[in-house]
Amino acid sequence: MTTLEPTAHRADSPRDPWSQLLEKVGKHQDREAFQSLFQHFGPQIKHYAIANGLPHQAEELVQEVFISIWRRSCLYDWRKAAASTWIFTIARNQRVDLLRKLRRTNKEITVETEDLWQVPGEQEDEPVTSLHRLMSERRIRESLVHLPEEQITVIAKVYMEQKSHQTVAEELDIPLGTVKSRVRLALKKLKVLLQDQKS
Amino acid sequence: MTSHHPDTLSLMEYSAGTLSDPHALCIRLHLDHCPHCRSRVDALDSLGAMIVESQPREPVAAGTFDAILDRIDAEPAPGAIVMPRDPRDALHKLLDTDDLNSLPWKRQLADASVFDISDYFPEQSERVVLQKLTAGGKAPSHTHRGTETTIVLQGAFVDHSGVFNQWDFVVLDQNDTHKPVAVGHDDCISLSILSAPLKLTGTFTRLLNPFIR
Ligand SMILES: [Zn+2]
Repeated sequence: MTTLEPTAHRADSPRDPWSQLLEKVGKHQDREAFQSLFQHFGPQIKHYAIANGLPHQAEELVQEVFISIWRRSCLYDWRKAAASTWIFTIARNQRVDLLRKLRRTNKEITVETEDLWQVPGEQEDEPVTSLHRLMSERRIRESLVHLPEEQITVIAKVYMEQKSHQTVAEELDIPLGTVKSRVRLALKKLKVLLQDQKS
Repeated sequence: MTSHHPDTLSLMEYSAGTLSDPHALCIRLHLDHCPHCRSRVDALDSLGAMIVESQPREPVAAGTFDAILDRIDAEPAPGAIVMPRDPRDALHKLLDTDDLNSLPWKRQLADASVFDISDYFPEQSERVVLQKLTAGGKAPSHTHRGTETTIVLQGAFVDHSGVFNQWDFVVLDQNDTHKPVAVGHDDCISLSILSAPLKLTGTFTRLLNPFIR
């Protein structure tokens, strides 16, 4: 169901091609680079919108994400996040924002989406951690390929279908505890799970 | 079960963007002050990006890129306008205040006051409250019917399971009966999301439960 193509070369180089392109957009408003990013990430984001239950707003979401990428590209720092990660968080934020707008009652929302959902590397006081982040990304990418299908399925549902662990449990008709333990197992293998007391 | 950091599953739901506004707010306030959890979220964000990358693609409509270019042509170049940054965190912006102590607190018990901010989250069925315990003050012993997610915003409190300092994150459920005491010189202010009303356990039971609307 979910195929994970090994694309380790992207994380291996300190400056993967997408991050280089994104820097060009940020530094020089390079439209050719912007178009290359659009051609690569646009179809992924459109699928992301559809999977998240926004088929009618999918094109709108793609547009909003790329407008946001254009506007914020000057803040992008390749040492703090891979372009794909940074773009993922922008897409997530735009999706959250779109849903908040669709659900908006007549009450004014006083807190902006961006105040709640953080984009990596925009915390000015953060020390530069390129090596740490490259190692962690490579580790995740390499171990992701070896995860059992059932673990990838639950993680993909959380990320792609905007589902809580509770909803995933109901959908797959398995106990919430099983969903949680699958996710915990997966995160342990990916070495994301470092600090939890129960694991 | 308490933990001073959010657990990885909650951080994953944060990274995936599936949390409600108040839960995202609690996590964000913690992240603003916890480099350790920020780096966990960074790792989860990379995981999210790799998951998206592993999925099928959906062709984008022919005119979309041109429509985007038209829009960016109509606005100033990025970085041309520097918006003054509001240095306040999400909660202070939401409440439009610089000082949590000056909010219209409602005193419920000698040492305990609350300020209900559920109305700021109209789509939310859960209760969202700020709670203040006067320095040295004791809250009544209570347990929780659902789960209570709390982040300490100012001061510190202790209960049987330890000391909770500013920006510490705690999740309590029906198995936890606790009796928090504010320690230190400052009043202890915390933000809590309550999935069900509290149940007072001790001699305070007959008092009006401050956490029932
Ligand atoms: Zn933390």
